[in-house]
Amino acid sequence: MEALFHNLGIGFAVALTFQNLFYCLMGVMLGTLIGVLPGIGPVATIAMLLPVTFTLNPTSALIMLAGIYYGAQYGGSTTAILVNIPGESSSVVTCLDGYQMARQGRAGPALGIAAIGSFFAGCVATIIIALFAPPLAEVALKFGPAEYFSLMVLGLIAATVLAHGSLIKAIAMVILGLLLGLVGTDVNSGVARFSFGVSELSDGIGFVSVAMGVFGFAEIIANLEQKEHREIFTKKVSNLLPSLQDFKDSWASILRGTALGSFLGILPGGGALLASFAAYTLEKKISKNSANFGKGAIQGVAAPESANNAGAQTSFIPLLTLGIPSNPVMALMIGAMMIQGIAPGPQVMTERPQLFWGMIASMWIGNLMLVVLNLPMIGMWIKLLMVPYRMLYPSILVFCCIGVYSISNSPFDVMQTAAFGVVGYIFVKLECEPAPLILGFILGPLMEENLRRAMLLSRGDPLVFFQRPISLTMLLIAGFLLAVVLAPTVRKKREEAFVEA
Amino acid sequence: MKITNGKDFWAGLMFIAFGLAFMFVAQNYAMGNAVRMGPAYFPTVLGGMLAVLGAAVLARAFVSKISNPVAVFPFRYWLVLGGLVLSVIAFYTQPPRDAGMALQIGHALLAGIAILMLFAAFGERSLWVVLFAVVVFGYMLKPLGLVLATGLLVFISAWGGHEFRWKEVTIMSAILAAFSVAAFVYGLGLPMNVWPSIWE
Repeated sequence: MEALFHNLGIGFAVALTFQNLFYCLMGVMLGTLIGVLPGIGPVATIAMLLPVTFTLNPTSALIMLAGIYYGAQYGGSTTAILVNIPGESSSVVTCLDGYQMARQGRAGPALGIAAIGSFFAGCVATIIIALFAPPLAEVALKFGPAEYFSLMVLGLIAATVLAHGSLIKAIAMVILGLLLGLVGTDVNSGVARFSFGVSELSDGIGFVSVAMGVFGFAEIIANLEQKEHREIFTKKVSNLLPSLQDFKDSWASILRGTALGSFLGILPGGGALLASFAAYTLEKKISKNSANFGKGAIQGVAAPESANNAGAQTSFIPLLTLGIPSNPVMALMIGAMMIQGIAPGPQVMTERPQLFWGMIASMWIGNLMLVVLNLPMIGMWIKLLMVPYRMLYPSILVFCCIGVYSISNSPFDVMQTAAFGVVGYIFVKLECEPAPLILGFILGPLMEENLRRAMLLSRGDPLVFFQRPISLTMLLIAGFLLAVVLAPTVRKKREEAFVEA
Repeated sequence: MKITNGKDFWAGLMFIAFGLAFMFVAQNYAMGNAVRMGPAYFPTVLGGMLAVLGAAVLARAFVSKISNPVAVFPFRYWLVLGGLVLSVIAFYTQPPRDAGMALQIGHALLAGIAILMLFAAFGERSLWVVLFAVVVFGYMLKPLGLVLATGLLVFISAWGGHEFRWKEVTIMSAILAAFSVAAFVYGLGLPMNVWPSIWE
């Protein structure tokens, strides 16, 4: 306990410096902004800002990028409640009851409870990270290459199980991602693989290009194909504070949402999206009057909004302790760490306590800022919602292009990103979910490296993955997950769940 | 045999093509063995797995209960043909590095048109207009400077949307250009020229 306070002390000392407070504020502001705006998500935004973070010190950079992710969870609920469009994919379920509440003239309390729930969840999740990350990192320090390889297999399988749509396509996308990640110079032999003599490719395909092309450009193009229609129900929101009855109705939902979200965030493949869906389903199941759900039940706003914020934050645990991303945003965070010359993994906590604890402390501060940003300043965000998409997307493109260009100050990266835009568009059209591809892409080289080492140590005996207990456990869980999803009954349920979404 | 799910059909073909391509190219590198894996080992295994999964997706396209038309993309085959011919020409007429400016620009234009034709061969208008705007920005940033390149990007990409309003787009490009210069060049100190490089 004492160590915890000591560590948090270090963290707050770092997070409360003027510079870091500034970047934290920038991060959560940007996060709220893109959360409110439909059609641009945290993945594209973080990808856009990665090149800019070159110039910052690592702690400030990571504090800002983290702020974007959990800030987006706050902003997403605003759009969901007021416009019935999820500003963020993790706010999809908030639309169901939040918009109904707005139609009944209760947009204020809906926004209020979403923010309060999110703040509570954010505080709890911060404490959970501070409590659980150190012991987990200690375990992870004992991992050998075999354990790491199996852990990555588990992480990737879990990510595919949770991906939308077809499982087999999702696995294919993971493998395609792994292969794309292998492009570039092989560390062991020095051979430039799949580079076709292009010198830029011998350093590998740019991570920013893949993420921005597949998530940013492809999304814009797909959005442009649809006619836009946006109806803002509530132009003026008054009376943000929920009534005493509202609190009575929803405090248990907030607690449950926070607990479930925190747990699901830690799991590989988890994060905000899964957390909000699961929390909504749970509330509906255990509620005494579940008929109210979908008709403006405040529990249906409180639970998923708490859960997505908790999940967004606890998904940093596998990143910070194991160096394994559980969703595309975390994959980008790994990219950001590598840009700064930090090898993600359990050693980050011991070697860079300032960075580790500073980031955790900043999350609590960021949550506080978000409440202020989102409640009193709600009018500003509503105004932003009135900006039509035809004015938004050229602006997004400008920032994307400048960001990509600045990676190496050459047109090559821009071309590469455009190419991945085409690829991403094809993925959208063929219903191939790109999130597993990004995870595979970031893990490709790591996975090969650990496989090679493990096989070298075992003298070529592949059974090593089954002989070491931790490794075996992880492979068993991965196998179990696959078996469960492939089981006919679950498969049907899973399809239904995603169709409902 | 009838294709019921066109999306699975194309996705399957895509995965097979990627898998085989990676396997094929990997054969240029050393395979090694299980103890000491060469650079070709992992890609070959993964490529094989991808091709097998692709085959499964392809097979499913024939039995799937979900029905999607085979024509997922609008396809303009004459543009593909033209684009391919031009890119082959562009590939074999690559001017040497010390060639004159006019020749360089001419070649870049030829390659650009070829790529654009390949883009435009499939997909909606928004796809290739937006990406064309991006590519133009990438190549024009150095010669034209940030202000003009941003203007070009905004104008071309706005043309890819549903409605194009001259006044709005002009104002928007002015604001965006001013903001980018202030934030990226002066604020973050990115090394980009603001105005055409000939002026400076």
